[in-house]
Amino acid sequence: MTTTANTAAADQGRQDTTGPAVVVRDLRQHYGDFEAVKGVSFEIRPGELFALLGTNGAGKTTTIETMEGFRRPSSGSVRVFGLDPHGQPSGVRERTNAVLQGSGLLDDLSVDETIGLAHDLAANPRDTAELLDLVGLSDKGGVAVRQLSGGQKRRLDLALALVTRPEVLYLDEPTTGMDPEARHETWQIISGLKKHGVAILLTTHYLEEAERLADRLAIMHRGEVRVEGTLASVLAGWGDRVSFLLPEDVRTGDLPELPEAEIAVETRDQALWATYTAMGGDVADRAHRTVAALIAWAAERGITLQHLQVRGASLEDVFLRVADGAADLLTD
Amino acid sequence: MTTTAAAPERSRPTISRTKQVLRLTRTEFTLFVRYKTAWMFLFLPLFLAFVTLQLPNDEVIPGFGAAELAMIASMGTIGLILGVGHPSNVFTARRESLVLKRFRVSGVPQSVIFGAVIGVVVLFSLVIAALVVGLVFATSGGTLPRDPLMLVVAVILSGVMYSLMGLLVTPFVRNAEAAQMAAMVPMMILLFTGGGVIPLEFLPETARQVMTFVPSVPAGEMAQAAYTGYDAFGGFGSAEEKGYLGLWVSALPSLGVLLAWIAVLTLLVRRYFRWDPRQP
Repeated sequence: MTTTANTAAADQGRQDTTGPAVVVRDLRQHYGDFEAVKGVSFEIRPGELFALLGTNGAGKTTTIETMEGFRRPSSGSVRVFGLDPHGQPSGVRERTNAVLQGSGLLDDLSVDETIGLAHDLAANPRDTAELLDLVGLSDKGGVAVRQLSGGQKRRLDLALALVTRPEVLYLDEPTTGMDPEARHETWQIISGLKKHGVAILLTTHYLEEAERLADRLAIMHRGEVRVEGTLASVLAGWGDRVSFLLPEDVRTGDLPELPEAEIAVETRDQALWATYTAMGGDVADRAHRTVAALIAWAAERGITLQHLQVRGASLEDVFLRVADGAADLLTD
Repeated sequence: MTTTAAAPERSRPTISRTKQVLRLTRTEFTLFVRYKTAWMFLFLPLFLAFVTLQLPNDEVIPGFGAAELAMIASMGTIGLILGVGHPSNVFTARRESLVLKRFRVSGVPQSVIFGAVIGVVVLFSLVIAALVVGLVFATSGGTLPRDPLMLVVAVILSGVMYSLMGLLVTPFVRNAEAAQMAAMVPMMILLFTGGGVIPLEFLPETARQVMTFVPSVPAGEMAQAAYTGYDAFGGFGSAEEKGYLGLWVSALPSLGVLLAWIAVLTLLVRRYFRWDPRQP
């Protein structure tokens, strides 16, 4: 797979930073009595990747389908380049493309026939050989689509989405089924698209993917956005973790209470571990403040904090707490 | 809060829909040839044309017996079998496998996607019609259509109409197998009411009048008129031989019925066709 970024939008010199390409405002979608999406708002600017995360059934795909123009909002609005995408007016459909959650390929065609068709149907297509090289399928041109592996089909999906030089790209779990190497190469392709000004919406269950690629992200749960912001701001809101092995002669009740830090004790490998989650607005200093207090406490008692670890919250921590409903408590 | 999105549209290259339809029709042709089930829709109209050879062939108008007229009328059912059978089957399968959605998110307009499958149905309908003409030619002692243009128009319009009908089957079924079964309902009803299986001459006048509005009747009658040069639109009982213009004037009501059905079905397809396998 060629790892250099592509020429997606650069050929047309369409770096545009004048405003958001996609604006979603208080989007709601009802199916009868069931409300699948409950007032979702976000925007995506050219050159920005917005990751929409969430559990299965959180409303992500319904949101994307509305942005793609397949569903009319029950209320609220979606605008792509200032236009309502419902029904896919030409001002929208010629400037957007997508990798769908499922492949959507014609199994009876070969790889060359598939990309050739997409090329011939596009107004200003990219070169097919270049695209197949980009996604690492150059040697599969004559192979029938039905004979491709799941990961190879995903790579072909990505190539098809790039044929039309989209300015807005919806990526619905684009690396599902890919091996780690192909996934990393796909991330490089996506990073290249960002650099060339493409506005990207990404959904994924691989949180590392969102951490690597997202400029901003939102975590949806039961139709609502529970957490939103840049990766740094999202993680900052969930505290820094300071963990150590609980000394044998220290009971749980002996652990000191520290300002703006929550204590949790858990069993790992048949040993008790204490974890302090340092909260507070002093994001840059709070881990130091907590560690310093713990070191002082340990020195006072003449004990050593074994396996002392300091780490920030991971996206997985945040995601799991949102999925568990903990976010209900934190955001209410 | 940002209230409007930016990024004014730049001048992007465009591609004509005609070019897109022709290109996608080429792929539809390839897919049709590779999809063995589709071949059944080619053989069935030919089989029905052969079946008419078993009918008594008493002369109805000079040069044409009842069997030959039934065979000619069967050309109106080519589009029925191909058009209702093929698009309903493959478009349901493609909807479920996200192929249709893939086309849409790539910016391919609805009209191009529909136009291509209609194009391949019309193309194969014309091929089968040509074979049936050869059959009539052989059995009638070398008679060719008097008005080939009208015959072609009848085959094309019926192909378009029935393809739209086939597309309209897809929203009501969840998979290709169900689509095949569901398509049999309109196919069988229209096959029996089209005049190819039960000649309309045997029906009472009132029933005949009503039947002229059934989608399957006008194409068969236009085929008969086009082939024989007789005004077949009121039955052959008092049919007269017409000139070129006279025949087209007589065909106007049938053309109108076909075009009206095409218009109605187009609206219904636009309104009810589903691109997404997910049920709301």
